[in-house]
Amino acid sequence: MFERFTDEARRVVVLAQEIARIRRAPRIGPEHLLLGLLRCPGTPGEELLAAAGVDTRAAERALDRTAGPAGPDADALATLGIDLDAVRRAAERSFGAGAFDRASRGRWRSGHLRFDRAAKTVLELALREAVRRGDRFIGTEHVLLGLVRPDTAASRVLDEAGMTLYRTRRALDELRGRRAG
Amino acid sequence: MSDATAVAAAASSTDPAVGLRAVVALRELQESLEELQVTSARDQGWSWQQIADALRISRQAVHKKYRRLGL
Repeated sequence: MFERFTDEARRVVVLAQEIARIRRAPRIGPEHLLLGLLRCPGTPGEELLAAAGVDTRAAERALDRTAGPAGPDADALATLGIDLDAVRRAAERSFGAGAFDRASRGRWRSGHLRFDRAAKTVLELALREAVRRGDRFIGTEHVLLGLVRPDTAASRVLDEAGMTLYRTRRALDELRGRRAG
Repeated sequence: MSDATAVAAAASSTDPAVGLRAVVALRELQESLEELQVTSARDQGWSWQQIADALRISRQAVHKKYRRLGL
């Protein structure tokens, strides 16, 4: 599948894997591909995101919100008389902001992370976008177009920035026009 | 939950769904706190043996569990 990927698109995939690992996700999801794209400045996919006002921090905040509460079950702990928020605050006083949630976000998985089902769909759609445009390669712009479609946390971030499939295709046409001309 | 009576009732619930869910939450909380403390101990120069003694487990067990963190 990756033989037609440009070096930049490969880098997005490698970054997505690293990001998924750091965030302790069990698999690579569309949200990790989106964050990977955002870390490849100067590539077509990243330029389209930047033009729509999607930046890494905004995307991370949105994805953290949709990821749901990480870690222990606060309601269940309350039945034992334990206030999870109080524990979290105490941990953050000692170890810094976010320390507790980082330690709680699932257990570390070693080895190679796989793509989840939605991320596989994103990559398939990226290939289809390339074919549709008659491109012989799959670049960051195609990965971005793949991310727009399935309903995921990442696509909702894009949708909120006004990046529908139609508008993103148009924006790519314009970007290519400017680059060529 | 603010009502102390309700807390006590839930903590000793005879409903396995309630009781076991609390046990799982407590285990996850324990794992998170252990990871924070082990990380902190390594940052402060503690050896794996010292950490293992404090946790009352073997050095191999603690090392195997936390080696992944690259501490």
